[in-house]
Amino acid sequence: MLRTREDRRALVRRIEISRVAVGAILSMLAVAYWITQIVRGEYFFNLSENNRIRAVKITAPRGYVLDRNGTTLVENEPAYTLHLYRRESKNLDESVRFIVALLDLNADVVKSRVDRGRRGPEYVPIPIAENLSIEEVSAVEARAAEHPEFAITVSQRRQYINGGSAAHALGYLSEATPEQIKASNNAYGVGDWIGQKGVEGAYERLLAGVNGERRVIVDSHGREVNEANRLEASPGQNLFLTLDSKLQQIAEDYFKERVGAVVALDAKTGEILALVSSPTYDPNWFTRRVTSAEWNELLENPDKPLQNRAIQNMYSPGSVFKVFIAYGALSMGLVDPDMKIFCPGHAEFYGRDFHCHKKGGHGLVNLRDAIKESCDVYFYNLGKKLGIDRIAEIASSFGFGKPTGVDLAFEKIGLVPSEDWALKRRKARWYPSETISVSIGQGPLLVTPMQVARGLAGLVEGGRLPTPHLFYASQAPGTNAPLRYTAESSSTMPITPEQLKIVLNGMWAVVNEAGGTAYGSRVPGFEMGGKTGTAQVIGKGVTVKAGVDKSKLLDNAWFAGFGPVADPQMVVVVFVENGGHGNLAAAPLAKLLFEARFVTPKTPTTGVQAMVTGEPAPAAGLRTVSTARLSAMAASPSRRLAAAERDAQLSAATRGGP
Amino acid sequence: MIRRVLGSSRIDPIVLACALGLSMLGVLFIGSATIGTKFEGLAGRQATFIAIGLVAMTAAILFDYRMLLKFSFPIYCACLLPLVYLLVFGQSIANVRSWIRFGKFQFQPAELAKIATALLLAYMFENEDDTGLRPATLVRLGAIVGVPVLLVFLQPDMGLALTFLPLVFVGLFFGGLPAKGWIAIFLAVAVLAGGGWFVLKDYQKARIGTFLNPDSDVLGSGYQVRQSKIAVGSGGFSGKGFRSGTQSQLRFLPVQHTDFILAVIAEEWGFLGVILVLGLFATLILRALKLAQTARDRGGMFLVLGLTAMMFFSVVVNASMMIGVMPTTGIPLPLVSYGGSSVATTLLGIGLILGVQYRRFANA
Repeated sequence: MLRTREDRRALVRRIEISRVAVGAILSMLAVAYWITQIVRGEYFFNLSENNRIRAVKITAPRGYVLDRNGTTLVENEPAYTLHLYRRESKNLDESVRFIVALLDLNADVVKSRVDRGRRGPEYVPIPIAENLSIEEVSAVEARAAEHPEFAITVSQRRQYINGGSAAHALGYLSEATPEQIKASNNAYGVGDWIGQKGVEGAYERLLAGVNGERRVIVDSHGREVNEANRLEASPGQNLFLTLDSKLQQIAEDYFKERVGAVVALDAKTGEILALVSSPTYDPNWFTRRVTSAEWNELLENPDKPLQNRAIQNMYSPGSVFKVFIAYGALSMGLVDPDMKIFCPGHAEFYGRDFHCHKKGGHGLVNLRDAIKESCDVYFYNLGKKLGIDRIAEIASSFGFGKPTGVDLAFEKIGLVPSEDWALKRRKARWYPSETISVSIGQGPLLVTPMQVARGLAGLVEGGRLPTPHLFYASQAPGTNAPLRYTAESSSTMPITPEQLKIVLNGMWAVVNEAGGTAYGSRVPGFEMGGKTGTAQVIGKGVTVKAGVDKSKLLDNAWFAGFGPVADPQMVVVVFVENGGHGNLAAAPLAKLLFEARFVTPKTPTTGVQAMVTGEPAPAAGLRTVSTARLSAMAASPSRRLAAAERDAQLSAATRGGP
Repeated sequence: MIRRVLGSSRIDPIVLACALGLSMLGVLFIGSATIGTKFEGLAGRQATFIAIGLVAMTAAILFDYRMLLKFSFPIYCACLLPLVYLLVFGQSIANVRSWIRFGKFQFQPAELAKIATALLLAYMFENEDDTGLRPATLVRLGAIVGVPVLLVFLQPDMGLALTFLPLVFVGLFFGGLPAKGWIAIFLAVAVLAGGGWFVLKDYQKARIGTFLNPDSDVLGSGYQVRQSKIAVGSGGFSGKGFRSGTQSQLRFLPVQHTDFILAVIAEEWGFLGVILVLGLFATLILRALKLAQTARDRGGMFLVLGLTAMMFFSVVVNASMMIGVMPTTGIPLPLVSYGGSSVATTLLGIGLILGVQYRRFANA
């Protein structure tokens, strides 16, 4: 036990060294804390603020879509989604078994969803089932005490009341694509709904409104502890369309078994009164999470239901085009309307024989009768006289080969051939014989039904070419009068009233004079004018491959009508794919539409029409309806809030336990 | 008798005050960190453990440490037995077999093993008369510390195993390892670590990391360090106020009442709070080292040095890991962090230090 003084002194010295080292190390630690807390303190303070405050989006209720009379076409309905909160579950397998039995769900689907959700952070709830019925919701709510891990969230789902009706005009909602997210400067995020096509797409900003934001204080589980502040969402505006549900319904009924398109326009304003593309699809599919089978059915349908045939498909206009040729030739002073041409049933041009649709020939016909009877030989001669470049000039002035400016996306512009076009695009000279085909609306000339309707409106109005549109008025929530929208119009070639009368008279005769091509579709007590068209799908003499569906080779049927002839109010273009003759397949629908609009007793103007035209609104007008609906929409976020409060209470209860 | 002990000023008041101050700070902030959570009420439990620790401390002061040194080997063996028992029969709690249950209570025998190892080490150096370190002593030192380290490491609790290592340093440094020895150790460590780093592939390194500390990635250790740094940094100079730390009150901090208690103090009391804690530890440790110099024998000196070194090591590692200077290893802050075994045995250790000081005069 005895030790030397030397030893003790050495030890004491080492301890002295260690005390200096301890002091130095602890001082260095203090400096490190100084750097963290004082030098970088503000940086970390901001981080801690972001840590605890999280922004939660309040989705703005989307505006409704209504027709011109205030009939609701698209609304929102509450959609219930079932979520599983893992942190509340004592035994996940047991929870899954319970919910599968309670709601009669597919056990494998639920299990795979839970397994997928398990990979994420614990605080993120796992979606178990969407679109629960009220009965299912109450079944889950009733067992909330024993199974707090299951919670229902309410969101708004777009509801297209009449299913596939006017689907191509309305469009649909789908989750924003990565491209759309990028284009929106991240205003949209993954999983956000965005309008696609139709007015849902075109007026997305108006309908969507502006989302609000709740800034909530959360704990590290993402559990809401408190709300710091909130910025209310401003709901989207209600959108009134120019559509008239009555006309739309008639047109859709007519097209139940047919393929094609209908466009009915207000001749003066370009308002689209009816817009049909057949076959149609149900936009509700997209908001109900389409199954892949449904998707494939939609995509593989040879009739392509998603295509809007009124603006996206291009066809030969056939004889409907003759009225534009007639108008243009008169305007240019290149035709004497009284001059008669002899039609023997066929004629030879540039060494080729061209047939008239009437085998025996029309005999001597002037311009008016050539329109009435749709004499091909007359227009062959007129077209030859005009030449392809003048025909192109006429077509362009009526808006063919150009966008109509309709407020729908993905519009096709068609094709107006000219000598220049042939050289540039075909790298070959224009064959003069092709001009003969184009003069009766065949050949390379391609148009959309919308272009025909707009052109016809321009024609019957003596050169005022309107812009077709679906936007009638918009109404911001809480305001009374909707804001009316008017579209601009442009001019076609000038024409004298006398000359115009000749063309209109020919079109009157088409329907109302014996021998007119649409005499069978005359409207009793109403003067409808129009022009039929029967366009070949394939050129004559082309050998048809075996196995091709013969029905797909039938002619396309057109009818372009207007009325009343004395003061044109509405133009209607009916196009039936492979419908055969225009007078038989297409004209009857035009008759129905004019009858419905002008002959059957008119219902008094109510609702939005009265409001936008300045007439005093009836007591039970649109205003009361929409405000009631708006308050219903506004009520939904608070419902969601109630669910959140319940959640907070639940977690408080968990905390209170041992 | 207690009055005589304190009244006669033979018990060092500075060490005692620092230890009590830190313990009380711990109770205070365990309360702040656990309020409103399922851990609420742990502050009271901690106070109970402190009381138990104080009883143990008093006993350690009154009991002659030289007797303990004499029986240090049986004590050492007795303390290692539970560790062996744990490895064979122990139940896993959070994948680690480091707890023994007594009804409602759990006890971590490794904490007591630390004290026993320090005792045996002191007893060994009591009988070393040379100024230099003999090779045989070196081997025995390795064995004394190596056995418990291995047992704890196998539980596996790497953090706790690491806290034994300061004893090796104490033996080497205060035992008088010559400069050549230090160079050899330094080279050996450098070659082993560096060589290993180059030879091993990335996935192997990751595997070793997971093996050494399987719990490190439950929440992601990167997440822990980040949240802890945010808590500390956002406290600034004077903090966000007691019970007002957003990081801690909103539970962004992991295990905040145990390993991360200093981050809670740093957030709520700021740099001033950190200085208070570090200042108390600095005073305690520097004072304890001063007391070691006055010990009546080598055994007392080494006992104080061993216990103080272990505490110092824990403080430095824990405080460094709050701000991301060192990796998270699961080493608590002595006296302050929640943990009954830890706080009670630390107080027992301080009792032993005070006991050595109490008996510094040969005639005592």
